[in-house]
Amino acid sequence: MSHQTAALPIASVVLRILIVLNWVWGICIFAILCGTLFAHEWTLTALGVTTGHPIRGILPGLQAIAALGLVVIGFNYMVLKRLVAMVDTVREGDPFVAANAYRLHAIAWIMVGMQIISIIIGAIGKAISTPEQPIHLEAGFSVSSWVAILFAFILARVFAEGTVMRADLQGTV
Amino acid sequence: MAIGVRLDDLLHERRMTLTELAEKVDLTLANLSILKTGKARAIRFSTLDAICRALSCQPGDLLQFEEGGDSSD
Repeated sequence: MSHQTAALPIASVVLRILIVLNWVWGICIFAILCGTLFAHEWTLTALGVTTGHPIRGILPGLQAIAALGLVVIGFNYMVLKRLVAMVDTVREGDPFVAANAYRLHAIAWIMVGMQIISIIIGAIGKAISTPEQPIHLEAGFSVSSWVAILFAFILARVFAEGTVMRADLQGTV
Repeated sequence: MAIGVRLDDLLHERRMTLTELAEKVDLTLANLSILKTGKARAIRFSTLDAICRALSCQPGDLLQFEEGGDSSD
């Protein structure tokens, strides 16, 4: 069972590192968004976009993608914060609590929001992409992501049922 | 809970302490205290069986429905 005892502290540390990296990534996206607002030619060149006349049309699209990216950073934080709390309850030896069922349910809904944003980003990317300046984004509809969302909703329900059963068992003599 | 546990009365009638009963039925004193104070949400048949054997009583002697009791947990 030693791998289990080691896995929890590792998961806890990794999740906390991810929270920091998420904020760093958020600062980078915010810097890019500011760059497109106040020094758009320099920022577009830095991003590898040729700053010619037809290319200027992609600027609002890139700004929208950056703004949506900031929303996703917020969503990421909400998910990671809940995962840290859940791992902490496992470490304390009491994971089957109603709070964890609520957390999983919230994570599932946040994942829905993230997927919708991903689809919007993918659509914007397609709209502003041209043969001269193709834009490839790792965004859009993803079957595996929607399966993961479904899995999260089911797991939240299983957790909720498990919590009720545990409460019953606790009062059984 | 509208179901009352008469463990205290039965122990008194048999001049037995909760600790002695705990030893006889192989249950922890804490669990028996939960049962005695009416804080238990459920009782296993095996527990009921052990208590009835130890106290030489019927399940009906141990449990009683209290008219007008709180129906919630």
